[in-house]
Amino acid sequence: MKIEILQEIVKKKSSKKRFAVLKNLTNGKSELFEVGSPLSDELNVHKKDIENYYNLQKNGIINETNIFIENYTKPIEVIIVGAVHIAQYLIDFSKNLNLMITIIDPREYFTKKQTFKNVKIINEWPEKILEQLQSNNNSALITLTHDPKIDDPALQFALKNKFFYIGALGSKKTHEKRCQRLKDSGHTKEQIDSIHGPIGLKLGGKSATEIALSIIAQLVLEINKLKI
Amino acid sequence: MENLHELEITEKAISWIKFNKKVVLATVISTWGSSPFRTGTKMIINEEGDFLGSVSGGCVEANVIEESIELLKNNYQFKKLEFNVSDENAWNLGLACGGNISVYIEKIN
Repeated sequence: MKIEILQEIVKKKSSKKRFAVLKNLTNGKSELFEVGSPLSDELNVHKKDIENYYNLQKNGIINETNIFIENYTKPIEVIIVGAVHIAQYLIDFSKNLNLMITIIDPREYFTKKQTFKNVKIINEWPEKILEQLQSNNNSALITLTHDPKIDDPALQFALKNKFFYIGALGSKKTHEKRCQRLKDSGHTKEQIDSIHGPIGLKLGGKSATEIALSIIAQLVLEINKLKI
Repeated sequence: MENLHELEITEKAISWIKFNKKVVLATVISTWGSSPFRTGTKMIINEEGDFLGSVSGGCVEANVIEESIELLKNNYQFKKLEFNVSDENAWNLGLACGGNISVYIEKIN
C-alpha cells in the first residue's frame, strides 16, 4: 500500500467524511472510494458489487472477487449540554469510539475556565444553537446541568428531531418533575419514555467518573442496537 | 461500532515511515467461526519488530510479526496468511477461540 493512501485516510477521517478503502488482493494495490468518485479500470468491472457493499456498509472480500472493502463510517454526533465535571470524563471514555462531541453550555464560567480536548465547545443557550447544528436521527443528546432552563429546551429539540439517544442526568425525583414539564409542554408519553432518565446503565457508582462510564456504556449499547 | 484505533494506527505508520522505518500493515480480511475481532482490524509492524494494534486479541500476533519481518527482507509486496483451527500450527499459536482468520500483510511504501 502506498503511504499516500494512508495520508488520505487520515485526512478524510479528520474531515468526518464517509468513505471506503478498496484493496485488490491479487496485486496489493489500494484505492479510496466514495459516492460518485471514479474507480480504477481494474475495479470498475465490479462497480455494482462495490457500490452494493458500500451502501450496506459491509466489510470483507466482495463475493467471487479478490477485492477487499473496508468502510469508514461517519462518526456519531453527540451533543452534551453542560460543561460540567462529568463531561470531562465522557470525553476521556469516548476516545477511539468514533464519536463527534459538541458541548453546549450558556454559562461562560464553565466553558471558558475549563480545558476540554478535541471537542467543540459552544458558549450559548441550547435553543439558540441547536437549530444551527446539523443534527438528525443519527445524533445523541446528553443533558448534564439538571437545570430546567438549560436542559429542557435541548430535550424538546432532541425529541422533535428524533435523536436515537436522549439521556438526562438527575435523580428519579428530578426526572419525574422533568417528565411532567415535558408533558405539560405537549410531548406524548411515548416521546417522554424514550428519554433515558436517570441516565446511564446501573453500575452502582456515584463518582463523576463512574457516572460518565455508565453513560458511555448506555450510549454504546444504543449505538449497537441501531446496527442490528 | 467502528473499529477503535484505526486513526492512531494509521498515523503511527506514517510517522514510522517518516523516520525511515520499513513498515508492514496487517489487516484481517476474513473470519469464520468465533474469531474475536471483526474484518478490517489492523496492526502495523516495523523491521525492528515494534508493533501497534492487533489482529486477534493475542492468538496469532507473534506469527504475524514474524511473517511481516520476513516480508520486509524479500521482494514480495504482500502475503496472505491463513490461521485455522484444523491447522496444527494454529493450535501451537494458541488460536483458542475456535475460529479461522485470514490476515493480509503488505508493505507500506
